[in-house]
Amino acid sequence: MLEGKLVRLRAQEMGDLERDHAWINDREVTRYLAARYPISLVDEERWLSGRPPSSGSNGLRLAIDTKDGRHIGNIDLLPGNPDDRCVALGVMVGDKEYWSRGYGTDAMITLLRFGFSQMNLNRIWLHVFEHNERAIACYKKCGFQVEGRLRHHRYQEGRYSDVIEMGVLRDEFAASHGLAAPKEGGP
Amino acid sequence: MLEGKLVRLRSLEPSDVEREYAWANDLEVTHYLSMRYPFSRADEESWLRGGPPNSFNQVRLGIETKAGLHIGNIGLYTANAEERHAELWILIGDKAYWSKGYGADAIVTLLRFAFHDMNLNRVYLYAQEANARAIACYRTCGFVEEGRLRQHRFRHGRYWDVLFMGVLRDEFDALHGGPS
Repeated sequence: MLEGKLVRLRAQEMGDLERDHAWINDREVTRYLAARYPISLVDEERWLSGRPPSSGSNGLRLAIDTKDGRHIGNIDLLPGNPDDRCVALGVMVGDKEYWSRGYGTDAMITLLRFGFSQMNLNRIWLHVFEHNERAIACYKKCGFQVEGRLRHHRYQEGRYSDVIEMGVLRDEFAASHGLAAPKEGGP
Repeated sequence: MLEGKLVRLRSLEPSDVEREYAWANDLEVTHYLSMRYPFSRADEESWLRGGPPNSFNQVRLGIETKAGLHIGNIGLYTANAEERHAELWILIGDKAYWSKGYGADAIVTLLRFAFHDMNLNRVYLYAQEANARAIACYRTCGFVEEGRLRQHRFRHGRYWDVLFMGVLRDEFDALHGGPS
């Protein structure tokens, strides 16, 4: 269990299936995500049960719970290259009641801290669609810097749009957020 | 067969294995590439025999001079049907053919195929920051630097930035000519 200030991150369970299935088929939730086709319950179940256990090479996929145990989204580090100590991050807050209230940011900071202080990563990066301003603001707060703009990298809603590449380095994160876990009940 | 000005691009064959083996284990050839471990002949053979036939999903081609000498490989992968983009990779293994325009001709030839026959809209690639010869070549072909991924790769004792470069179909046509 990874403890943040507002959330805790835990391994995903088969009991999460119904919520994951609802979120991945919610157009508002997936609007800025790579997912675009309807996903059946069977597909989702196969995906949930077929993942290898979390590790530095396999990556990890965690559920985001509020401190009172409500599952509100998922966050993951993709399988990366262990030589380069560099992986990609993906996050989804599926429960729309929890949008824009700091839960996603807290989940990100909690996972970044784990990646740098426990997995010995040097760099974590992500792609975000240019129109997803809420997410871009959140990523900046977590320490990500804009490193590039991939022109016409995404097609959706009838046109091409750009994708922003963002990255954060271990030293930067240590300076801005610290690598030590926050104290229970702290600020 | 894809015809360029200096090269032609053809399917890879199991009989290419000795050259592949030599290139993959030549530290000068792989200096700026992500390949870093020694490869066996068997590894190379399974790489050559293992792939699916060339298709939208994956293109792997040998680069030959017009005289029929196999000097390197080029390909596209992770082609995405909806976004109409793919990642390009290239390796000139025969060092006698470095800096003579063969790589650029191979890239332009494959880009023409990607845009005019596969209906892609965008092709992108990654280049290690210190690989100045490659970056200059990619610019000649029409690639534009779109981002700099800080400390994205570790090799030779330190982290290196990786440049992300891309070219759009309209740009390629303006530079190298559209369909006739």
